[in-house]
Amino acid sequence: MKLFTEAALSKSAAEATLLRARLLLFGGVKVMVIYGGAFALTRWPSLELWPLIAGLTIPLAALFLKAIMLAVSSGPENLLRRAPSTAGSSGNLAKPAAFIFLAGALLLSAAPARSEEPHALSHADSAATAVAHTAEGGAAHGEAHSGGGSGVAHLPNWITILNDFFPQNAVIHWMHENEYLVFAWLAAVVFLGITWFGMRKPTMVPGPIQNAIEWMVESMEDVCGGMLGKHLHKYFPYIIAVFFYVLSMNLIGIIPGFKSSTSTLDVTLALALITFLYVQFTGLRNLGPLGYIDHLAGSPRDVVGFIMLPVMIPVHILGELAKPVSLSCRLFGNIFGEDTLIVVFVGATALCLKASLVALAVPPMLGISALFMLLQALTSIVQALIFALLATVYLYMMLPHEEHAHGNEEHAHAPSH
Amino acid sequence: MNFAATLGLGLPIGIGLAAIGSGIGIGFLGQGAMGAMGRQPDVLPKLQVAMIIGFGFAEALTIYAFVTMFFLQGKIQ
Repeated sequence: MKLFTEAALSKSAAEATLLRARLLLFGGVKVMVIYGGAFALTRWPSLELWPLIAGLTIPLAALFLKAIMLAVSSGPENLLRRAPSTAGSSGNLAKPAAFIFLAGALLLSAAPARSEEPHALSHADSAATAVAHTAEGGAAHGEAHSGGGSGVAHLPNWITILNDFFPQNAVIHWMHENEYLVFAWLAAVVFLGITWFGMRKPTMVPGPIQNAIEWMVESMEDVCGGMLGKHLHKYFPYIIAVFFYVLSMNLIGIIPGFKSSTSTLDVTLALALITFLYVQFTGLRNLGPLGYIDHLAGSPRDVVGFIMLPVMIPVHILGELAKPVSLSCRLFGNIFGEDTLIVVFVGATALCLKASLVALAVPPMLGISALFMLLQALTSIVQALIFALLATVYLYMMLPHEEHAHGNEEHAHAPSH
Repeated sequence: MNFAATLGLGLPIGIGLAAIGSGIGIGFLGQGAMGAMGRQPDVLPKLQVAMIIGFGFAEALTIYAFVTMFFLQGKIQ
């Protein structure tokens, strides 16, 4: 307590820093001892509790790291960072456009899209330099139509801290301005790397990683196969790619120092627009132009249907246009809401760390917020699942002969009962 | 009552109202799905998938209110 008051009342900045570092160290040791004792107690009867222990330890360690990152980065006035406001409409338009180009090039890997890639990159780069000298904090009432995150506190990540240490470096500054692009690429690289590592030498009796990957893919195949039926193998690559991409982008935000790219409306809107265009393209190709218009008109077959035509066409067009909005806003809102929840708890923990109240207030605070981190992991998985399943549903609606496919499916399921 | 005060009062109330609707919807969905699962356990996987999609739709309404709150939050000064 004496040390705490000394640290709080000390006038000299260097002394205060030294005291705070010492207290941080002692507090960290205390926390380690407390939790180490608890874990030793849990694992004493048997070693069967390993998954439980890991499930409790990983969120706690992650939270503690996040809180420490928040506490030791620069001064108290930016304890909770404001999101970098992207002023200037060119930046707001160019960055989603670049993301759409890149994601489209990745997903479709078509030759014309790939030739667009450097152009889009340079466009985003120029836009980033145009908004490079925008003030970071305080611009809370900037027009929030781009990031959605402006005006809301968020945790610093490794790029923020790098930007603090090297404020003049152009590359780091570009990364700081386009954090979500960097983390989206990182998520894609992690996901592709794990898949490549697991499946590079597929064996008949799978190893652990191959087993996990096969289990996930087969579960998704079962779920989507119930809806798409015989069309499954045509559309499954897109669905599973979107699922794993969104999942890895969601889950990467749990790691301290990383950020969920899906907590930005730009990324989710780009993904939803790609899905929307793919669904419309599928409808046009499968139903033909006339069948597509017929589908938009609600398939009128009798007099009442044709009388209701002027009402049904705008309703159906509006329904189609609502799909990307609902997809993107749902994903963005869920992930961003969870992130904000974590920020509130981690911010409180970091305030306790800064006030050197480590052993007093941090353990219960970490315990509470670890529960919310487990909730965040659950939400990440469920939201990725919902995104992929809704893409499946939209694709299913665009497929021809719905009654026929439905009959087939029931027929296929009948012997199993 | 000025603009910021109105916004500061209205946004939480709006989210609360939206959450009431979503909660009722999710409650009905869960009730129906649980009842059906209890009666017919062999359709459980299909029901679960449909239930999760329904949850997503019902929950999205609150999320819209939530997103609106984030967009308008900066105007409360």
